[in-house]
Amino acid sequence: MTLAPETRPAAADGSGTLPAAALPPLPGRTLSEPELRAWVTELAARPALWRDHVAHGTGRRHYVSLHRDTDVDVWLLCWDTTDDTGWHDHDTSAGAVVVVDGAVVEQRPRLGGVPASRTVPAGRSFAFGPDHIHRMSGAVDGSVSIHAYSPPLWRMGQYAISPDGVMRRWSVSYADELRPVD
Amino acid sequence: MKRFLSSPTRPVETVARPVTTDVHQHLWPVGLLEGLRRRTAPPRLVGWELHLDGEPTTWIDPAAHDLARREAVDRADAVDLTLLSLSAPLGIESMPPEESTPLLAAWHALADDLEAAAAAAGAPSHHGLWASPRLVEPDLVELAELLAHPRVAGLQVPASAMATPGALEALAPVLRTAEVADLPVLVHPGPAAPVGHGAGGLDGRPLPGWWPALTSYVGQQGAAWHAWHVAGRALLPELRIAFVGLAGLAPLHHERLAQRGGALGAVDPGVHYETSSYGPRAIDAMARVVGVDPLVLGSDRPYATATDPGLGEAFGRALRATNPHHLLNGGPR
Repeated sequence: MTLAPETRPAAADGSGTLPAAALPPLPGRTLSEPELRAWVTELAARPALWRDHVAHGTGRRHYVSLHRDTDVDVWLLCWDTTDDTGWHDHDTSAGAVVVVDGAVVEQRPRLGGVPASRTVPAGRSFAFGPDHIHRMSGAVDGSVSIHAYSPPLWRMGQYAISPDGVMRRWSVSYADELRPVD
Repeated sequence: MKRFLSSPTRPVETVARPVTTDVHQHLWPVGLLEGLRRRTAPPRLVGWELHLDGEPTTWIDPAAHDLARREAVDRADAVDLTLLSLSAPLGIESMPPEESTPLLAAWHALADDLEAAAAAAGAPSHHGLWASPRLVEPDLVELAELLAHPRVAGLQVPASAMATPGALEALAPVLRTAEVADLPVLVHPGPAAPVGHGAGGLDGRPLPGWWPALTSYVGQQGAAWHAWHVAGRALLPELRIAFVGLAGLAPLHHERLAQRGGALGAVDPGVHYETSSYGPRAIDAMARVVGVDPLVLGSDRPYATATDPGLGEAFGRALRATNPHHLLNGGPR
């Protein structure tokens, strides 16, 4: 019988990893888009778990890995208006985002047209599948969102769209989005 | 608590930025070479010929163990800090104390030599080393003193000493010295099981030279990782630990683990995987299971060289600098 690492103290090494026992229940398999959205909303309702990891004005993008297992990958992202992910997809992962402070802008590309854009304020959430291409940025300084991906992030697609609408894609590791070189 | 620095002189505050670090190289200091030459039974050196019980006899290249030459190689590789380790397949740690003590002393004398060289040059040291414990009648007080040496980055143990949860439990007091010192542990393959001299190959020919590295070493790392997975975190709640050779790819077996009644559980941020001898496919596969944060650069020079996994600049920085810094020093990312 494997002794699961849940018994270890929270963040003993100073990382943002949450004790698995404190998380909302997980089904032990890949989560669907509605399941991810419900789960991340439930996590957002437990601010004692993640509030201490929020940081702004550090001079670099501040992203904290809250949890990763074989089924789900959970991150806390802090946004200022200067932060912009660029166009990307999540390869085989679905995802869900809940905004807990401020607001974020999500854009989806339209080749030859103006991107579809929406501002998602605190308290709102959305989910997407592996087919989803988007970019996100902070709508106001000091924004915070919590993201969950299933299966856990691995590769991502990064896109460039030329002025005449030609789109190109690069396969990169998720480090390009979540462990960026500042 | 001690923080491992690239320089013996700079204060902690000035080394906040992670430097490119190779956490796994081997270099045999002169004292160790001489000690191995004095022996009449394996592990022993006859001239530059290495005799081990479990591996084919091999010739050691003297140039491969020259510190100045190695430093030049590291500079060419853009490596700022290199951590040297005793070749655990020699089996020195598990020999009787009267045999192991002088050889381990010769190994640890390298820490003084590195410190003296850096002080004489008035320049930052580009090297540190992993301490190696005596596993028969270990002296934990002496080990704690050794771990306080400014050129000692952590403790290396042979995977063969933690091949089961019970063995890990027995080894835990030794590992706890590193945990108390807030320093990491590196798990490295120990001696390969003897397969008989000149036997095992086709038509009675010797086995290929790579045989231990692809069989015994991989198996040892896998067993040690599973022992840790069952018992490690409960025994040593704060320890940072790294498994060389991507832990024999053990985490990639997580679906098999689940089918047989176990569970991978949450990825433990205190557990790291060193990449030596692997390349883009295996490193990418490990990132898919454990993520990017646990992966740390190691080359295993002079036995292997690190290859670029080709996973982008951000991945490269995490692998080569940020993640090794976290292994060595802990703290938030």
